[in-house]
Amino acid sequence: MLLEIRNLTKRFGGLTAVSDLSFTLAEGDILGIFGPNGSGKTTLLNLISGVYQPTSGRLVWAGEDLIGRRPHEIAAGGIVKTFQNPQLFGELTVFENVAVAGHLRLKRRAGWRRVATLLPARHGSDDDLHERIERVLALCRLGSVRDQPAKSLSYGGEKMLGVAMALMCEPRVLLLDEPGSGLGQDEIRNLDEVLRDLRTHGTTLVVIDHRVGFLGRLADRAIVIHHGAKIAEGPPGDVLRERSVVDAYLGPGHA
Amino acid sequence: MKLLLLWVPLVLVPLVIHNNVVLTILIFTYLLGILAVSFNLIFGFTGQLSLFHAAAFGLSAYATYLAMAHWGVPFWLGMVVGVVFVSLVSLVIGTICFRFNLRELYFAIVTLAFSELFRLVILNWNSFTNGSLGINFTLTPTLWIPGRGVVPVQGTMMWYYLSLVAVVLAVGFYSRIVHSWMGRCFASIRLNDDLADTLGINVFRYKLIAFVAANAGAAVAGSLYSFYISYIDPHYFSIDQSLAIIAMALLGGSRYVAAPIVGALVLTALPHVINVNAEARLLIYGLILILTILVMPRGIVGVLVTGLRRPSRAPQTPERPRHAA
Ligand SMILES: Nc1ncnc2c1ncn2[C@@H]1O[C@H](COP(=O)(O)OP(=O)(O)OP(=O)(O)O)[C@@H](O)[C@H]1O
Ligand SMILES: [Mg+2]
Repeated sequence: MLLEIRNLTKRFGGLTAVSDLSFTLAEGDILGIFGPNGSGKTTLLNLISGVYQPTSGRLVWAGEDLIGRRPHEIAAGGIVKTFQNPQLFGELTVFENVAVAGHLRLKRRAGWRRVATLLPARHGSDDDLHERIERVLALCRLGSVRDQPAKSLSYGGEKMLGVAMALMCEPRVLLLDEPGSGLGQDEIRNLDEVLRDLRTHGTTLVVIDHRVGFLGRLADRAIVIHHGAKIAEGPPGDVLRERSVVDAYLGPGHA
Repeated sequence: MKLLLLWVPLVLVPLVIHNNVVLTILIFTYLLGILAVSFNLIFGFTGQLSLFHAAAFGLSAYATYLAMAHWGVPFWLGMVVGVVFVSLVSLVIGTICFRFNLRELYFAIVTLAFSELFRLVILNWNSFTNGSLGINFTLTPTLWIPGRGVVPVQGTMMWYYLSLVAVVLAVGFYSRIVHSWMGRCFASIRLNDDLADTLGINVFRYKLIAFVAANAGAAVAGSLYSFYISYIDPHYFSIDQSLAIIAMALLGGSRYVAAPIVGALVLTALPHVINVNAEARLLIYGLILILTILVMPRGIVGVLVTGLRRPSRAPQTPERPRHAA
Protein backbone atom coordinates (compact mmCIF):
# COMPACT_ATOMS: atom_id res chain seq x y z
CA MET A 1 0.00 0.00 0.00
CA LEU A 2 1.46 3.36 -1.00
CA LEU A 3 -0.62 5.64 1.19
CA GLU A 4 -2.95 4.70 4.00
CA ILE A 5 -5.31 7.19 5.57
CA ARG A 6 -6.70 5.88 8.83
CA ASN A 7 -9.47 7.50 10.86
CA LEU A 8 -8.35 10.98 9.95
CA THR A 9 -10.14 13.78 11.81
CA LYS A 10 -9.60 17.52 11.69
CA ARG A 11 -11.49 19.97 13.85
CA PHE A 12 -11.35 23.74 13.54
CA GLY A 13 -12.70 24.84 16.90
CA GLY A 14 -16.21 23.42 17.00
CA LEU A 15 -16.32 22.57 13.31
CA THR A 16 -15.34 19.08 12.21
CA ALA A 17 -14.03 19.55 8.70
CA VAL A 18 -12.80 15.99 8.25
CA SER A 19 -14.40 13.26 10.28
CA ASP A 20 -12.99 9.78 10.89
CA LEU A 21 -12.05 9.32 7.26
CA SER A 22 -10.17 6.28 5.97
CA PHE A 23 -9.06 5.07 2.55
CA THR A 24 -6.01 3.63 0.89
CA LEU A 25 -4.11 4.37 -2.26
CA ALA A 26 -2.04 1.89 -4.26
CA GLU A 27 0.68 2.70 -6.77
CA GLY A 28 -0.89 3.83 -10.04
CA ASP A 29 -4.35 4.42 -8.59
CA ILE A 30 -6.46 7.27 -9.83
CA LEU A 31 -8.82 8.32 -7.10
CA GLY A 32 -11.60 10.83 -7.64
CA ILE A 33 -12.92 12.78 -4.67
CA PHE A 34 -16.44 14.16 -4.87
CA GLY A 35 -18.41 16.16 -2.36
CA PRO A 36 -20.47 19.33 -2.02
CA ASN A 37 -18.91 22.71 -1.22
CA GLY A 38 -17.49 22.86 2.27
CA SER A 39 -17.53 19.10 2.70
CA GLY A 40 -13.84 18.94 3.63
CA LYS A 41 -12.12 17.94 0.37
CA THR A 42 -9.47 20.67 0.44
CA THR A 43 -8.90 20.12 4.14
CA LEU A 44 -8.25 16.45 3.42
CA LEU A 45 -5.56 17.32 0.88
CA ASN A 46 -4.06 19.84 3.30
CA LEU A 47 -3.85 17.11 5.93
CA ILE A 48 -2.15 14.69 3.55
CA SER A 49 0.36 17.31 2.39
CA GLY A 50 1.21 18.42 5.92
CA VAL A 51 -0.22 21.94 5.66
CA TYR A 52 -2.55 21.06 8.56
CA GLN A 53 -1.90 18.62 11.36
CA PRO A 54 -4.81 16.24 12.01
CA THR A 55 -6.67 16.33 15.32
CA SER A 56 -6.48 12.55 15.33
CA GLY A 57 -5.86 9.66 12.98
CA ARG A 58 -2.89 8.37 11.07
CA LEU A 59 -1.24 8.83 7.70
CA VAL A 60 1.07 6.05 6.60
CA TRP A 61 3.22 6.61 3.52
CA ALA A 62 5.18 3.62 2.21
CA GLY A 63 5.22 2.18 5.73
CA GLU A 64 6.24 5.45 7.40
CA ASP A 65 4.17 7.62 9.69
CA LEU A 66 3.66 11.10 8.22
CA ILE A 67 2.12 12.79 11.25
CA GLY A 68 4.20 15.73 12.39
CA ARG A 69 6.11 16.04 9.12
CA ARG A 70 6.44 19.49 7.59
CA PRO A 71 5.01 20.10 4.09
CA HIS A 72 8.48 20.29 2.50
CA GLU A 73 9.38 16.88 3.94
CA ILE A 74 6.20 15.36 2.59
CA ALA A 75 6.82 16.94 -0.82
CA ALA A 76 10.37 15.60 -0.76
CA GLY A 77 8.92 12.18 0.04
CA GLY A 78 6.92 12.35 -3.17
CA ILE A 79 3.46 13.70 -2.28
CA VAL A 80 2.80 17.00 -4.01
CA LYS A 81 -0.40 19.01 -4.22
CA THR A 82 -1.78 21.87 -6.25
CA PHE A 83 -3.89 24.62 -4.78
CA GLN A 84 -7.56 25.25 -5.36
CA ASN A 85 -6.82 28.99 -5.45
CA PRO A 86 -3.72 29.25 -7.63
CA GLN A 87 -0.59 30.04 -5.67
CA LEU A 88 2.45 31.34 -7.48
CA PHE A 89 5.46 33.59 -7.31
CA GLY A 90 3.82 36.54 -9.04
CA GLU A 91 6.92 38.62 -9.68
CA LEU A 92 8.84 35.78 -11.28
CA THR A 93 8.36 34.71 -14.87
CA VAL A 94 6.47 31.53 -15.71
CA PHE A 95 9.79 29.88 -16.49
CA GLU A 96 11.29 30.94 -13.17
CA ASN A 97 8.25 29.66 -11.29
CA VAL A 98 8.77 26.22 -12.79
CA ALA A 99 12.51 26.49 -12.12
CA VAL A 100 11.86 27.10 -8.42
CA ALA A 101 9.73 23.98 -8.44
CA GLY A 102 12.75 22.13 -9.84
CA HIS A 103 14.37 22.30 -6.41
CA LEU A 104 13.44 18.77 -5.35
CA ARG A 105 14.67 17.36 -8.63
CA LEU A 106 18.04 19.04 -8.13
CA LYS A 107 18.16 17.89 -4.53
CA ARG A 108 17.40 14.28 -5.45
CA ARG A 109 19.92 14.18 -8.28
CA ALA A 110 22.80 16.20 -6.91
CA GLY A 111 22.35 15.81 -3.15
CA TRP A 112 25.01 17.76 -1.30
CA ARG A 113 26.94 18.12 -4.54
CA ARG A 114 24.54 20.92 -5.36
CA VAL A 115 26.53 23.09 -2.95
CA ALA A 116 29.57 22.66 -5.19
CA THR A 117 27.66 24.25 -8.07
CA LEU A 118 27.88 27.52 -6.12
CA LEU A 119 31.66 27.63 -6.52
CA PRO A 120 32.92 30.17 -9.06
CA ALA A 121 34.71 27.61 -11.21
CA ARG A 122 31.57 25.59 -11.87
CA HIS A 123 29.29 26.82 -14.54
CA GLY A 124 25.64 25.87 -14.51
CA SER A 125 25.17 22.14 -14.81
CA ASP A 126 21.57 23.29 -15.18
CA ASP A 127 21.15 22.27 -18.83
CA ASP A 128 19.32 19.12 -17.93
CA LEU A 129 17.04 21.13 -15.66
CA HIS A 130 16.30 23.60 -18.46
CA GLU A 131 15.38 20.79 -20.79
CA ARG A 132 12.97 19.37 -18.23
CA ILE A 133 11.42 22.81 -17.61
CA GLU A 134 10.88 23.29 -21.33
CA ARG A 135 9.22 19.90 -21.59
CA VAL A 136 6.87 20.63 -18.68
CA LEU A 137 6.05 24.06 -20.13
CA ALA A 138 5.28 22.50 -23.49
CA LEU A 139 3.09 19.80 -21.93
CA CYS A 140 1.08 22.40 -20.04
CA ARG A 141 0.96 24.74 -23.07
CA LEU A 142 2.77 27.51 -21.27
CA GLY A 143 5.63 27.79 -23.74
CA SER A 144 4.32 30.97 -25.34
CA VAL A 145 4.11 32.82 -22.01
CA ARG A 146 7.29 31.45 -20.50
CA ASP A 147 8.93 34.87 -20.11
CA GLN A 148 5.89 36.72 -18.79
CA PRO A 149 5.55 37.43 -15.09
CA ALA A 150 3.29 34.84 -13.53
CA LYS A 151 0.93 37.49 -12.19
CA SER A 152 0.01 38.50 -15.73
CA LEU A 153 -1.49 35.09 -16.52
CA SER A 154 -5.19 34.44 -16.89
CA TYR A 155 -6.87 32.44 -14.13
CA GLY A 156 -6.69 29.32 -16.28
CA GLY A 157 -3.03 29.99 -17.00
CA GLU A 158 -2.35 30.29 -13.30
CA LYS A 159 -3.99 26.95 -12.66
CA MET A 160 -1.99 25.29 -15.41
CA LEU A 161 1.17 26.83 -13.99
CA GLY A 162 0.27 25.26 -10.64
CA VAL A 163 0.03 21.87 -12.35
CA ALA A 164 3.31 22.49 -14.18
CA MET A 165 5.06 23.32 -10.91
CA ALA A 166 3.69 20.20 -9.25
CA LEU A 167 4.84 18.08 -12.21
CA MET A 168 8.30 19.59 -11.91
CA CYS A 169 8.49 18.10 -8.40
CA GLU A 170 8.27 14.63 -10.00
CA PRO A 171 5.71 13.39 -7.49
CA ARG A 172 4.82 9.78 -6.83
CA VAL A 173 1.40 10.91 -5.72
CA LEU A 174 -0.09 14.06 -7.20
CA LEU A 175 -3.00 15.69 -5.36
CA LEU A 176 -5.01 17.99 -7.61
CA ASP A 177 -7.54 20.32 -6.01
CA GLU A 178 -10.18 21.23 -8.59
CA PRO A 179 -7.67 21.69 -11.41
CA GLY A 180 -10.45 22.27 -13.92
CA SER A 181 -12.56 24.87 -12.15
CA GLY A 182 -12.48 28.30 -13.76
CA LEU A 183 -10.86 27.02 -16.95
CA GLY A 184 -12.07 27.79 -20.46
CA GLN A 185 -12.98 25.08 -23.00
CA ASP A 186 -9.51 24.90 -24.58
CA GLU A 187 -7.80 24.93 -21.24
CA ILE A 188 -10.00 22.10 -19.98
CA ARG A 189 -9.13 20.02 -23.02
CA ASN A 190 -5.45 20.63 -22.42
CA LEU A 191 -5.76 19.77 -18.73
CA ASP A 192 -7.51 16.52 -19.54
CA GLU A 193 -4.71 15.65 -21.95
CA VAL A 194 -2.16 16.28 -19.22
CA LEU A 195 -4.10 14.10 -16.80
CA ARG A 196 -4.39 11.27 -19.30
CA ASP A 197 -0.70 11.60 -20.01
CA LEU A 198 0.00 11.23 -16.30
CA ARG A 199 -2.25 8.19 -16.18
CA THR A 200 -0.38 6.48 -18.99
CA HIS A 201 2.87 7.19 -17.15
CA GLY A 202 1.51 5.52 -14.04
CA THR A 203 1.53 8.53 -11.70
CA THR A 204 -0.75 7.99 -8.75
CA LEU A 205 -3.40 10.69 -8.78
CA VAL A 206 -5.93 12.04 -6.33
CA VAL A 207 -8.24 14.45 -8.10
CA ILE A 208 -10.96 16.66 -6.69
CA ASP A 209 -13.27 17.82 -9.42
CA HIS A 210 -16.91 18.77 -9.72
CA ARG A 211 -17.10 17.61 -13.32
CA VAL A 212 -18.65 14.27 -12.53
CA GLY A 213 -18.65 13.03 -16.10
CA PHE A 214 -14.99 13.73 -16.77
CA LEU A 215 -13.63 12.54 -13.46
CA GLY A 216 -15.91 9.52 -13.59
CA ARG A 217 -14.18 8.45 -16.79
CA LEU A 218 -10.64 9.30 -15.64
CA ALA A 219 -10.74 7.77 -12.16
CA ASP A 220 -10.76 4.08 -11.44
CA ARG A 221 -12.09 4.65 -7.95
CA ALA A 222 -14.05 7.40 -6.25
CA ILE A 223 -14.93 8.45 -2.76
CA VAL A 224 -17.66 10.87 -1.82
CA ILE A 225 -17.32 13.13 1.19
CA HIS A 226 -20.19 14.81 2.99
CA HIS A 227 -19.75 16.89 6.15
CA GLY A 228 -16.20 15.60 6.39
CA ALA A 229 -17.16 11.93 6.41
CA LYS A 230 -16.87 9.39 3.63
CA ILE A 231 -20.34 8.38 2.52
CA ALA A 232 -19.46 6.19 -0.44
CA GLU A 233 -16.52 4.47 -2.10
CA GLY A 234 -16.12 2.32 -5.17
CA PRO A 235 -16.01 2.48 -8.96
CA PRO A 236 -17.13 5.97 -9.99
CA GLY A 237 -20.05 4.76 -12.06
CA ASP A 238 -21.55 2.85 -9.16
CA VAL A 239 -20.76 5.39 -6.47
CA LEU A 240 -22.41 8.24 -8.34
CA ARG A 241 -25.64 6.28 -8.58
CA GLU A 242 -25.93 5.57 -4.87
CA ARG A 243 -28.98 7.04 -3.19
CA SER A 244 -27.04 8.86 -0.44
CA VAL A 245 -24.66 10.43 -2.96
CA VAL A 246 -27.44 11.63 -5.16
CA ASP A 247 -29.19 13.19 -2.18
CA ALA A 248 -26.11 14.81 -0.68
CA TYR A 249 -24.21 15.89 -3.72
CA LEU A 250 -25.76 15.57 -7.10
CA GLY A 251 -29.28 16.57 -6.26
CA PRO A 252 -32.38 14.57 -7.17
CA GLY A 253 -32.48 15.95 -10.73
CA HIS A 254 -29.40 13.87 -11.45
CA ALA A 255 -30.80 10.45 -10.72
CA MET B 1 30.94 38.97 -16.61
CA LYS B 2 30.40 42.03 -18.76
CA LEU B 3 29.34 43.84 -15.61
CA LEU B 4 32.88 43.32 -14.35
CA LEU B 5 33.95 46.05 -16.78
CA LEU B 6 31.92 48.58 -14.80
CA TRP B 7 34.50 48.32 -12.04
CA VAL B 8 37.43 49.27 -14.26
CA PRO B 9 36.99 53.06 -13.96
CA LEU B 10 37.05 52.68 -10.19
CA VAL B 11 40.50 51.12 -10.44
CA LEU B 12 41.67 54.19 -12.34
CA VAL B 13 40.10 56.81 -10.07
CA PRO B 14 43.14 57.34 -7.77
CA LEU B 15 45.37 57.80 -10.80
CA VAL B 16 43.22 60.67 -12.03
CA ILE B 17 41.79 62.21 -8.87
CA HIS B 18 44.29 63.07 -6.18
CA ASN B 19 41.76 64.76 -3.91
CA ASN B 20 41.87 62.94 -0.58
CA VAL B 21 38.31 63.84 0.35
CA VAL B 22 36.94 62.19 -2.78
CA LEU B 23 39.05 59.07 -2.25
CA THR B 24 38.03 58.90 1.41
CA ILE B 25 34.36 59.12 0.46
CA LEU B 26 34.89 56.27 -1.97
CA ILE B 27 36.66 54.15 0.64
CA PHE B 28 33.72 54.62 3.01
CA THR B 29 31.37 53.89 0.12
CA TYR B 30 33.08 50.57 -0.59
CA LEU B 31 33.29 49.48 3.05
CA LEU B 32 29.71 50.47 3.83
CA GLY B 33 28.80 49.08 0.42
CA ILE B 34 29.86 45.62 1.61
CA LEU B 35 27.62 46.15 4.62
CA ALA B 36 24.64 47.19 2.51
CA VAL B 37 25.15 44.54 -0.20
CA SER B 38 25.31 41.79 2.42
CA PHE B 39 22.23 43.17 4.19
CA ASN B 40 20.35 43.04 0.93
CA LEU B 41 20.76 39.27 0.73
CA ILE B 42 18.49 38.78 3.73
CA PHE B 43 16.36 41.90 3.10
CA GLY B 44 15.95 42.44 -0.63
CA PHE B 45 16.39 38.90 -1.85
CA THR B 46 14.98 36.79 0.98
CA GLY B 47 12.44 39.33 2.21
CA GLN B 48 13.36 39.30 5.90
CA LEU B 49 13.93 42.66 7.58
CA SER B 50 16.84 41.87 9.90
CA LEU B 51 17.79 44.56 12.39
CA PHE B 52 20.80 42.55 13.50
CA HIS B 53 23.01 43.70 10.66
CA ALA B 54 24.62 46.63 12.47
CA ALA B 55 25.27 44.36 15.44
CA ALA B 56 27.02 41.80 13.23
CA PHE B 57 29.14 44.67 11.89
CA GLY B 58 30.04 45.85 15.39
CA LEU B 59 30.54 42.42 16.94
CA SER B 60 33.04 41.45 14.30
CA ALA B 61 34.92 44.73 14.75
CA TYR B 62 35.26 44.05 18.46
CA ALA B 63 36.08 40.37 17.99
CA THR B 64 38.79 41.14 15.44
CA TYR B 65 40.45 43.76 17.60
CA LEU B 66 40.21 41.77 20.82
CA ALA B 67 41.59 38.63 19.16
CA MET B 68 44.55 40.67 17.90
CA ALA B 69 45.11 42.40 21.23
CA HIS B 70 44.73 39.33 23.45
CA TRP B 71 45.95 36.49 21.30
CA GLY B 72 48.41 38.41 19.20
CA VAL B 73 46.99 37.11 15.93
CA PRO B 74 47.51 39.11 12.73
CA PHE B 75 44.64 41.18 11.34
CA TRP B 76 43.46 38.71 8.72
CA LEU B 77 43.22 35.91 11.26
CA GLY B 78 41.44 38.35 13.57
CA MET B 79 38.95 38.98 10.79
CA VAL B 80 38.41 35.23 10.47
CA VAL B 81 37.72 35.14 14.22
CA GLY B 82 35.20 37.95 13.76
CA VAL B 83 33.46 36.25 10.84
CA VAL B 84 33.33 32.86 12.58
CA PHE B 85 32.07 34.40 15.81
CA VAL B 86 29.35 36.39 14.04
CA SER B 87 28.35 33.34 11.99
CA LEU B 88 27.93 31.24 15.12
CA VAL B 89 25.92 33.96 16.87
CA SER B 90 23.76 34.33 13.74
CA LEU B 91 23.21 30.60 13.62
CA VAL B 92 21.81 30.69 17.16
CA ILE B 93 19.68 33.81 16.67
CA GLY B 94 18.47 32.63 13.27
CA THR B 95 17.54 29.24 14.63
CA ILE B 96 15.49 30.83 17.39
CA CYS B 97 13.72 33.28 15.08
CA PHE B 98 13.00 30.88 12.24
CA ARG B 99 12.06 27.88 14.40
CA PHE B 100 9.41 30.05 15.99
CA ASN B 101 8.53 31.15 12.49
CA LEU B 102 8.81 34.84 13.32
CA ARG B 103 7.76 36.81 10.29
CA GLU B 104 7.90 40.42 9.20
CA LEU B 105 7.58 42.80 12.13
CA TYR B 106 8.15 40.08 14.72
CA PHE B 107 11.40 39.04 13.11
CA ALA B 108 12.52 42.68 12.92
CA ILE B 109 11.74 43.30 16.58
CA VAL B 110 13.40 40.16 17.89
CA THR B 111 16.56 40.75 15.85
CA LEU B 112 16.59 44.34 17.15
CA ALA B 113 16.27 43.02 20.70
CA PHE B 114 19.26 40.71 20.16
CA SER B 115 21.38 43.54 18.81
CA GLU B 116 20.44 45.72 21.80
CA LEU B 117 21.46 42.84 24.03
CA PHE B 118 24.90 42.71 22.47
CA ARG B 119 25.21 46.49 22.57
CA LEU B 120 24.52 46.48 26.31
CA VAL B 121 27.06 43.73 26.91
CA ILE B 122 29.72 45.67 25.00
CA LEU B 123 28.73 48.88 26.77
CA ASN B 124 28.95 47.42 30.25
CA TRP B 125 31.83 44.97 29.99
CA ASN B 126 34.30 47.77 30.73
CA SER B 127 37.38 45.72 31.47
CA PHE B 128 37.18 44.07 28.10
CA THR B 129 35.65 46.64 25.79
CA ASN B 130 36.36 49.96 27.52
CA GLY B 131 32.61 50.62 27.60
CA SER B 132 31.17 53.74 26.06
CA LEU B 133 34.62 55.31 25.56
CA GLY B 134 35.40 52.73 22.92
CA ILE B 135 38.85 51.64 21.84
CA ASN B 136 41.42 53.58 19.85
CA PHE B 137 43.32 51.07 17.79
CA THR B 138 47.09 50.93 18.06
CA LEU B 139 47.33 47.94 15.76
CA THR B 140 47.45 48.07 11.97
CA PRO B 141 46.56 45.40 9.43
CA THR B 142 49.42 44.13 7.34
CA LEU B 143 49.41 42.84 3.81
CA TRP B 144 51.85 40.77 1.83
CA ILE B 145 52.52 42.40 -1.50
CA PRO B 146 54.61 40.60 -4.11
CA GLY B 147 57.99 42.28 -4.39
CA ARG B 148 57.51 44.42 -1.30
CA GLY B 149 56.97 41.78 1.36
CA VAL B 150 54.75 42.34 4.40
CA VAL B 151 53.74 45.97 4.65
CA PRO B 152 51.30 47.76 6.98
CA VAL B 153 48.05 48.89 5.36
CA GLN B 154 48.38 52.65 5.63
CA GLY B 155 47.46 55.68 3.64
CA THR B 156 44.58 56.48 1.37
CA MET B 157 45.93 54.67 -1.69
CA MET B 158 46.37 51.32 0.01
CA TRP B 159 43.02 51.52 1.75
CA TYR B 160 41.40 52.55 -1.50
CA TYR B 161 42.53 49.46 -3.35
CA LEU B 162 42.03 47.14 -0.38
CA SER B 163 38.41 48.23 0.06
CA LEU B 164 37.77 48.18 -3.68
CA VAL B 165 39.01 44.59 -3.89
CA ALA B 166 36.91 43.70 -0.85
CA VAL B 167 33.70 45.16 -2.26
CA VAL B 168 34.26 43.52 -5.66
CA LEU B 169 34.76 40.16 -3.95
CA ALA B 170 31.63 40.73 -1.85
CA VAL B 171 29.54 41.54 -4.91
CA GLY B 172 30.97 38.49 -6.68
CA PHE B 173 30.15 36.27 -3.70
CA TYR B 174 26.57 37.48 -3.28
CA SER B 175 25.72 37.59 -6.95
CA ARG B 176 26.96 34.01 -7.28
CA ILE B 177 24.50 33.00 -4.56
CA VAL B 178 21.60 35.14 -5.76
CA HIS B 179 21.87 33.86 -9.34
CA SER B 180 22.04 30.21 -8.38
CA TRP B 181 19.46 27.63 -7.37
CA MET B 182 19.92 28.88 -3.83
CA GLY B 183 18.94 32.37 -4.88
CA ARG B 184 15.78 30.87 -6.37
CA CYS B 185 15.01 29.37 -2.96
CA PHE B 186 15.51 32.77 -1.34
CA ALA B 187 13.20 34.42 -3.88
CA SER B 188 10.53 31.78 -3.32
CA ILE B 189 10.65 32.46 0.41
CA ARG B 190 10.33 36.20 -0.16
CA LEU B 191 7.41 35.85 -2.54
CA ASN B 192 5.34 33.02 -1.04
CA ASP B 193 6.88 30.88 1.65
CA ASP B 194 3.82 28.64 2.04
CA LEU B 195 4.05 27.71 -1.61
CA ALA B 196 7.82 27.20 -1.34
CA ASP B 197 7.18 24.81 1.53
CA THR B 198 4.75 22.66 -0.45
CA LEU B 199 7.25 22.56 -3.34
CA GLY B 200 9.76 20.85 -1.06
CA ILE B 201 11.89 23.85 -0.15
CA ASN B 202 13.09 23.76 3.43
CA VAL B 203 12.12 27.32 4.31
CA PHE B 204 13.78 27.19 7.72
CA ARG B 205 17.10 26.02 6.32
CA TYR B 206 17.30 28.58 3.53
CA LYS B 207 16.23 31.48 5.74
CA LEU B 208 18.98 30.47 8.14
CA ILE B 209 21.57 30.24 5.37
CA ALA B 210 20.57 33.68 4.08
CA PHE B 211 20.76 35.19 7.57
CA VAL B 212 24.17 33.72 8.34
CA ALA B 213 25.62 34.52 4.90
CA ALA B 214 24.37 38.11 5.15
CA ASN B 215 25.79 38.62 8.63
CA ALA B 216 29.12 37.10 7.60
CA GLY B 217 29.41 39.89 5.02
CA ALA B 218 28.61 42.47 7.70
CA ALA B 219 31.39 40.90 9.77
CA VAL B 220 33.95 41.37 7.00
CA ALA B 221 32.79 44.96 6.58
CA GLY B 222 33.02 45.55 10.34
CA SER B 223 36.62 44.33 10.62
CA LEU B 224 37.80 46.41 7.67
CA TYR B 225 35.82 49.52 8.58
CA SER B 226 36.96 49.60 12.20
CA PHE B 227 40.61 49.30 11.18
CA TYR B 228 40.19 51.96 8.56
CA ILE B 229 38.97 54.47 11.12
CA SER B 230 41.08 52.82 13.88
CA TYR B 231 38.32 53.12 16.43
CA ILE B 232 35.35 51.19 17.78
CA ASP B 233 32.63 52.07 20.23
CA PRO B 234 29.11 50.79 20.95
CA HIS B 235 27.64 53.18 18.37
CA TYR B 236 28.42 50.58 15.74
CA PHE B 237 25.40 48.72 17.09
CA SER B 238 23.02 51.66 17.17
CA ILE B 239 19.64 51.85 15.54
CA ASP B 240 20.90 54.79 13.42
CA GLN B 241 23.39 52.41 11.89
CA SER B 242 20.64 49.88 11.10
CA LEU B 243 18.49 52.63 9.65
CA ALA B 244 21.39 53.82 7.49
CA ILE B 245 21.88 50.29 6.16
CA ILE B 246 18.20 49.95 5.23
CA ALA B 247 18.30 53.38 3.58
CA MET B 248 21.37 52.40 1.53
CA ALA B 249 19.76 49.19 0.29
CA LEU B 250 16.44 50.82 -0.59
CA LEU B 251 17.96 53.93 -2.07
CA GLY B 252 20.36 51.97 -4.27
CA GLY B 253 17.79 49.34 -5.23
CA SER B 254 16.98 46.17 -3.37
CA ARG B 255 16.49 44.00 -6.47
CA TYR B 256 20.07 44.28 -7.69
CA VAL B 257 23.09 42.77 -5.95
CA ALA B 258 25.46 45.72 -6.34
CA ALA B 259 22.89 48.54 -6.23
CA PRO B 260 23.14 49.20 -2.46
CA ILE B 261 26.67 50.51 -3.12
CA VAL B 262 25.05 53.43 -4.94
CA GLY B 263 22.96 54.03 -1.83
CA ALA B 264 26.10 53.88 0.27
CA LEU B 265 27.73 56.46 -1.99
CA VAL B 266 24.85 58.91 -1.67
CA LEU B 267 24.61 58.59 2.11
CA THR B 268 28.38 58.84 2.53
CA ALA B 269 28.75 61.84 0.25
CA LEU B 270 25.70 63.67 1.59
CA PRO B 271 27.28 64.97 4.85
CA HIS B 272 30.11 66.42 2.78
CA VAL B 273 27.73 68.18 0.44
CA ILE B 274 25.41 69.59 3.08
CA ASN B 275 26.83 70.21 6.50
CA VAL B 276 24.64 68.67 9.19
CA ASN B 277 25.05 67.42 12.74
CA ALA B 278 24.44 63.86 13.87
CA GLU B 279 20.78 64.28 14.89
CA ALA B 280 19.87 65.96 11.65
CA ARG B 281 21.57 63.14 9.81
CA LEU B 282 19.21 60.63 11.36
CA LEU B 283 16.35 62.82 10.23
CA ILE B 284 17.76 62.83 6.72
CA TYR B 285 18.03 59.03 6.68
CA GLY B 286 14.40 58.87 7.71
CA LEU B 287 13.37 61.33 5.00
CA ILE B 288 15.36 59.48 2.36
CA LEU B 289 13.75 56.23 3.42
CA ILE B 290 10.24 57.66 3.18
CA LEU B 291 10.87 59.40 -0.12
CA THR B 292 12.48 56.33 -1.66
CA ILE B 293 9.62 54.07 -0.65
CA LEU B 294 7.03 56.53 -1.97
CA VAL B 295 8.68 57.78 -5.14
CA MET B 296 11.07 55.07 -6.31
CA PRO B 297 10.61 51.74 -4.55
CA ARG B 298 13.07 50.19 -6.98
CA GLY B 299 15.81 52.56 -5.93
CA ILE B 300 18.22 54.62 -7.99
CA VAL B 301 19.49 51.66 -9.98
CA GLY B 302 15.95 50.44 -10.50
CA VAL B 303 15.00 53.82 -11.92
CA LEU B 304 18.04 53.79 -14.19
CA VAL B 305 17.10 50.35 -15.46
CA THR B 306 13.33 50.48 -15.77
CA GLY B 307 12.34 54.13 -15.45
CA LEU B 308 10.32 55.94 -12.81
CA ARG B 309 7.23 53.88 -12.28
CA ARG B 310 5.88 51.94 -9.41
CA PRO B 311 5.87 48.18 -9.77
CA SER B 312 2.35 47.11 -10.58
CA ARG B 313 0.77 45.09 -7.87
CA ALA B 314 -0.74 41.72 -8.52
CA PRO B 315 -4.35 41.57 -7.42
CA GLN B 316 -4.21 39.60 -4.20
CA THR B 317 -6.87 39.16 -1.56
CA PRO B 318 -9.79 38.73 -1.48
CA GLU B 319 -10.02 36.77 -4.75
CA ARG B 320 -6.88 34.87 -3.87
CA PRO B 321 -6.37 34.44 -0.16
CA ARG B 322 -2.78 33.36 0.47
CA HIS B 323 -3.27 30.93 3.29
CA ALA B 324 -6.51 29.26 2.45
CA ALA B 325 -5.29 26.55 0.16
N1 LIG C 1 -8.23 27.03 8.20
C1 LIG C 1 -9.52 26.85 8.52
N2 LIG C 1 -10.03 27.33 9.67
C2 LIG C 1 -11.31 27.16 9.99
N3 LIG C 1 -12.19 26.49 9.23
C3 LIG C 1 -11.76 25.99 8.07
C4 LIG C 1 -10.42 26.12 7.65
N4 LIG C 1 -10.27 25.51 6.45
C5 LIG C 1 -11.48 25.00 6.14
N5 LIG C 1 -12.38 25.29 7.11
C6 LIG C 1 -13.78 24.87 7.11
O1 LIG C 1 -13.81 23.48 6.93
C7 LIG C 1 -14.91 23.10 6.10
C8 LIG C 1 -14.39 22.31 4.94
O2 LIG C 1 -13.71 23.20 4.06
P1 LIG C 1 -12.95 22.71 2.77
O3 LIG C 1 -12.28 23.90 2.19
O4 LIG C 1 -12.11 21.56 3.09
O5 LIG C 1 -14.15 22.26 1.84
P2 LIG C 1 -14.14 21.81 0.33
O6 LIG C 1 -14.80 20.50 0.28
O7 LIG C 1 -12.80 21.93 -0.24
O8 LIG C 1 -15.12 22.89 -0.33
P3 LIG C 1 -15.09 23.56 -1.80
O9 LIG C 1 -15.75 22.59 -2.73
O10 LIG C 1 -15.89 24.79 -1.63
O11 LIG C 1 -13.67 23.81 -2.13
C9 LIG C 1 -15.61 24.38 5.70
O12 LIG C 1 -16.72 24.56 6.53
C10 LIG C 1 -14.58 25.45 5.95
O13 LIG C 1 -15.19 26.66 6.33
MG1 LIG D 1 -11.94 22.98 -1.71
